[in-house]
Amino acid sequence: MSTQPSYQSMNDAYTAQVRHKSDRLMNYFLVSFFLVGLLLAIFYDTWLIAIGIGSLSLLAYYSVKLLLPGSDTYQYVASLVYGIFMAQFIYQMHGLFEMHFIAFIGSAILITYQNWKLQIPLALLVIVHHATFGYLQYIGYEKIYFTQLDYMTLQTFTIHGILATVVFFICGLWAWQMKRLSMRLIEQTYEMGRFQQEQLQRKFLLRSNQDLKKTNKELDSFVYSVSHDLRAPLSSMLGIVGLCEMGNPGAFMQKNISLLKSSIKKLDGFIMDILDYSRNSRLDVNRQEIHFNDLLADISNNLKFMGSDLRNVDIRISVRNGIAFHSDQSRLSIILNNLISNSIRYQNPEVTDPFVEICVEVSESAADILIRDNGIGIDKENQEKVFNMFYRVSTKSIGSGLGLYIVKETVEKLNGAIQLESQPGKGTEFKIRLPNLAG
Amino acid sequence: MDYKYKYVMVIDDNQIDLYIAEMVMATTRFAEKVICVSSAREALDYLKPLYEKPDELPGLIFLDINMPEMTGFDFLKEYQHLPENIRKRCIIMMLTTSLDENDRKQAEENQFVKRFLNKPLDRDKIAQLM
Repeated sequence: MSTQPSYQSMNDAYTAQVRHKSDRLMNYFLVSFFLVGLLLAIFYDTWLIAIGIGSLSLLAYYSVKLLLPGSDTYQYVASLVYGIFMAQFIYQMHGLFEMHFIAFIGSAILITYQNWKLQIPLALLVIVHHATFGYLQYIGYEKIYFTQLDYMTLQTFTIHGILATVVFFICGLWAWQMKRLSMRLIEQTYEMGRFQQEQLQRKFLLRSNQDLKKTNKELDSFVYSVSHDLRAPLSSMLGIVGLCEMGNPGAFMQKNISLLKSSIKKLDGFIMDILDYSRNSRLDVNRQEIHFNDLLADISNNLKFMGSDLRNVDIRISVRNGIAFHSDQSRLSIILNNLISNSIRYQNPEVTDPFVEICVEVSESAADILIRDNGIGIDKENQEKVFNMFYRVSTKSIGSGLGLYIVKETVEKLNGAIQLESQPGKGTEFKIRLPNLAG
Repeated sequence: MDYKYKYVMVIDDNQIDLYIAEMVMATTRFAEKVICVSSAREALDYLKPLYEKPDELPGLIFLDINMPEMTGFDFLKEYQHLPENIRKRCIIMMLTTSLDENDRKQAEENQFVKRFLNKPLDRDKIAQLM
């Protein structure tokens, strides 16, 4: 994507363009004024003034422009030069009154720079010139050629001055207004560009979001079919193993069959863990009302057949839920399944009444779930690590080492928190707080 | 000891799973005769002519979900167009490896499906159906 030029650079580019265009106009006007001076010299025989003053003025202007290329000073010099040309023409025409208007032409030309301050040198020069020459003529000085009128009184002079000031003021005002309009135009152009840029970016983001959603969906159906294709042969194997058991095998065969069976179940569990993990990390949270009693009854029913070599563990459920709780059912099921099956798997063979107790308390804002067992417990030093990926407490651990990692990830996906307290030989307690996603 | 069902049909594209179902039902005396078909199309072709002989209809049908050409759900769509005297005689059970929540939900919402079972079919599951 192309990046938009900054506001400053747009502003600079515009200013440079105005300056370049105006400088060219100045060249035409200044040279024309010089030529007009020569033309007047033909009629009034004022060659010395025309060539002398005219060329000195041009020299001043162009030398400043060349010597100080980065500054605006030459523009102020131009302003002065227009005033000097006015004085020169008035003199050359022997005080012809209409030549005073030359000052106004200069004032109007200067608008092109869009800088009201350029009016100041011209105005000052005109005032000084008029005051000096008017006074000189008034006191009767010879050959001043300021005006052909012989009644240049103070009143005339004042009116003259006020009108000139108004013209300079209006020209300055226009320059200022033009400048302001240009600034606004640049601002709008800049905003427009930025808006288009944002629009483009939004479109780009939207498209990549759609792509991502599509990829996620494809990945999900990929995981779905892969897990089916991996698990289908395993369930066939379990079925065959079941058939073998039905054939009254001897003790030796029975033992081998049991080992085979637990290996198959372990592999199946591993695939299901990976499936749960990938589901949790990619699918959106699906909000629905949770009926804890039904959910927990379902889970404990399924876990009854967990392992024939394990004693039955008493699953005690107590749910206090006067308030409706909303969350993601399949994620909640992943969490509870993993924790309860851990309690069954890591039961303490030394206790006579293995149990796992699940207490649920629902409030407006959250559900507090407590899962407590009297199993073998977890060492203090291992307690931090059990939530790590692929971490298994001992070589005797059954399972993929993913279970508690998935639990933690899933709890986090539901914006909840999980805490672990455990004493080896006494039991383990998980406290989970899940926000109520109602409303 | 009598058989629970005279005829039970199993629809599954996996030959081994058909064999397992057949053996488990035979040993547990769950079904006298197991009709094994390896596609939903074949199952429909088998059921349709039995309109004339309702006594030979299977009392129970185990239906797999993941099958090529016609899935278990495709079968159910066609099944509802079968004559009523066929439909009222058969109980359909889903028998699948799928653990997908959507599959389970879709199956449970279907009026013809009585239960959703996970493979493999074994003695414990048959005992529950007895």
